[in-house]
Amino acid sequence: MTLTLEAVTYRYPGTARPALADISLEIAPGAVLGLVGANEAGKSTLCLLAAGLAPATIGGRIEGRVVIDGLATVAARPSELAQRCGILFQNAETQLSGTAATVWEEVAFGPRNLSLSLAEIAERTDWALGILGIEALAPREPGRLSGGQAQLVALAAVLAMRPAYLVLDEPTSQLDPQGTKMVGSALQRLAHDTGVGLLVVEHKTDLLASIAERCLVLADGRIVGGGPSAELLADPRLDGWGVEPPSAVRIERAARSAGLAEAMLSAIAALP
Amino acid sequence: MSNPLVEVSDLVFVYPNGVRALDSIDLRIERGERLAIIGQNGSGKSTLVRHFVGLLHATSGEVRVDGQPVGRRHVAELARTVAIAFQNPDRQIFAARVRDEVGFGPRNLGLRGAVLHERVGAALRVVGLDGRGDANPYDLGYSQRKLLALACVVAMDAPLVVLDEPTTGQDARGVRRIEAIMAELAAGGTTVVAISHDMRFVAENAARVVVMRAGRIVDDGPPATVFSEPSWPVLGSTYLEPPLAARVGARLGLGPTPTERTLVARALEASAPRVSGPG
Amino acid sequence: MASAARVIGSGDTRAGLPAFVQPLPSGPYRSLNPTTKGVIAVSEALVAFAVRGWSGPLAVLLALALTAAVARLGRSLLPFLIATVPITASILLVNTFLFPGATDRIVTIGPFAPTWTGLTAAVQATLRVVAFAMSVAVLVLTTRPDELVADLERRGAPRGVTFVIGATVRTIPRVVQRAREITEAQRARGLDTEGRVWRRVRGVLPLAAPLVFGSLNEVEEQTMALEARAFSATGRRTPLRVFPDHVAQRALRWMLAIGTTALIILSIAGALAFLP
Repeated sequence: MTLTLEAVTYRYPGTARPALADISLEIAPGAVLGLVGANEAGKSTLCLLAAGLAPATIGGRIEGRVVIDGLATVAARPSELAQRCGILFQNAETQLSGTAATVWEEVAFGPRNLSLSLAEIAERTDWALGILGIEALAPREPGRLSGGQAQLVALAAVLAMRPAYLVLDEPTSQLDPQGTKMVGSALQRLAHDTGVGLLVVEHKTDLLASIAERCLVLADGRIVGGGPSAELLADPRLDGWGVEPPSAVRIERAARSAGLAEAMLSAIAALP
Repeated sequence: MSNPLVEVSDLVFVYPNGVRALDSIDLRIERGERLAIIGQNGSGKSTLVRHFVGLLHATSGEVRVDGQPVGRRHVAELARTVAIAFQNPDRQIFAARVRDEVGFGPRNLGLRGAVLHERVGAALRVVGLDGRGDANPYDLGYSQRKLLALACVVAMDAPLVVLDEPTTGQDARGVRRIEAIMAELAAGGTTVVAISHDMRFVAENAARVVVMRAGRIVDDGPPATVFSEPSWPVLGSTYLEPPLAARVGARLGLGPTPTERTLVARALEASAPRVSGPG
Repeated sequence: MASAARVIGSGDTRAGLPAFVQPLPSGPYRSLNPTTKGVIAVSEALVAFAVRGWSGPLAVLLALALTAAVARLGRSLLPFLIATVPITASILLVNTFLFPGATDRIVTIGPFAPTWTGLTAAVQATLRVVAFAMSVAVLVLTTRPDELVADLERRGAPRGVTFVIGATVRTIPRVVQRAREITEAQRARGLDTEGRVWRRVRGVLPLAAPLVFGSLNEVEEQTMALEARAFSATGRRTPLRVFPDHVAQRALRWMLAIGTTALIILSIAGALAFLP
């Protein structure tokens, strides 16, 4: 079972030009797939398609298929999709429902909508908070959290739907270095420990280098490159695609072009 | 003898709810400096720069801009000297056309007619939006809206420009553009202060780095010093990490190497064959 | 609130719910079912305005005084009272001095001629406003918004309605924060908010437009975030807590509802003209 896009072309409502053309990709359970590309390349659109929000919630025309664990998204109801694939956006604030007095209630919001029993709601909520290590935040007011904490709460709220896959659109963009680390390690633990498949869009290639096994590059609505992270993020064409290579890659490149002795180069490469 | 552009003396700022956001800040910013302020969210970076333009008033201590105390002067007046580009462009864009948006600031400062037109055109050129003057700001993508917000600030033609998280959400091209704009501003004599979470960006574009933690300045110096090994405990106490270049250089025993260029340069020196003895 | 009457719903739905989640309120009046408190407040507000003259407002104020005493709400009512001053002050002035057709002057000072009729009307109107404000105050001070929303939901109120009520309350600080950020950014571009008033009028568009556009942009993302948590799923949303209810309270609610409706109809029909 996977989350698959098969030759997907998508047009936003009322537009002729496709925002995405001929996209094919696959996310396996427990895998972390990174997605990079210039702004306006279509990364956010791709996230919406993978999670089924396009076309189900926002409309638009789709060719090809998006299938999540056997369910085609084009005909599915939003609540069905929500239980298969979750989505996390940049801004934690807009994702919190704004109706919960405590973080616990915020996370319980989704399961409640599914009319689950109280026991199951409590179980899922405690599980989601535990998996991210934020049990201590449970009694806090959602509106008074730091950026990193709020993003983790939003993540827990989505996880409480027990999706098999999770799509994250620049989750650390608004966070400070500490918040970025919190979210990054939480995502890693999530994929490794629970088998949730992740698609992570980020500009921070250093982060992707550490948490994603494979990466794809999106340019002008098309996938122009993909492969194991170590290789892809070292691809010399990244710059041309509007993507900043990770620091390690840049340093290595600079060292090589300066003609530094191999011993020096390998010492550089061996560092964390 | 010229006075510093900004002089902060023993600045303390306490929010109405009692939170002590700034605690005894002393800072001098000379004309023409390229300064970066780093620190976690909540360390007081944004609070500090708001004092330069009068958006916040000191609880105690003094802030002097261009030799004059800020006191209770109007923000509209101080904006002639200090122009701040805030992080979120969508929290200020209101005009129907890019050029009207950019013209808002200079218009408030009293410019009209040909002079205003010229100022707007120049600002659009600096940020690379000169073809989009008649476009609707919301037809621009996020990166370009951030550049638009930057153009609005450039158009103020203020001696001090403060950029609050200029590279957040920017792709590689966007970052490069920001770096070029900062260099152009600095070359023209503008003093530039950037608040940033991107250590690499800071190391490569700032001549001086101010590190903040919990409302205090805990380190202040050139990137080579602030990111070098002896300063790592201080950085660590703010949960910040030095750029990779600095860490690599330290591991290889090359001394301070905050940027790729310095790392490569020192590595080359170190690996060059030894010069033969005197005589 | 132990009573001999039958209890509907014990409120005991622990099953793993942490204690801090929607804790049951305690204390006299506060421990009433949220919907009961809501119905009381609405009835009081309606009766204060429906029954003209002195009877309506005074009766309601009496009931409120009793409630406030029972619920121990002394000083906390003050801010609400103070909030009514701008309205009541203008009501008093306008009615006393400018009541149309009144001729029974109290005193004449130059062009000013306050009348007894006007004064009477003014005081009555003031009492109505105060009664309304106080009934709102008592409700707000004794009932948490999410309690009321949760109870209404459990009784079958449509999901969208209860969401809007709940979200509105919590959205306000967010909008205020955004407005503050926008104001800062525009001031930093020279918008004069501290100088002459006529210059400040120019500031409306630069302050309002980003607020509106920003909200519109956010709405789409908020909608998607809600969908991602099955907001539009059919079926009853599971209540986290059932607030205890009693047969006696249900009877009270019905009595209030029927009684208030009757009073309104009678008042419109003019049958209550005999009341002072």
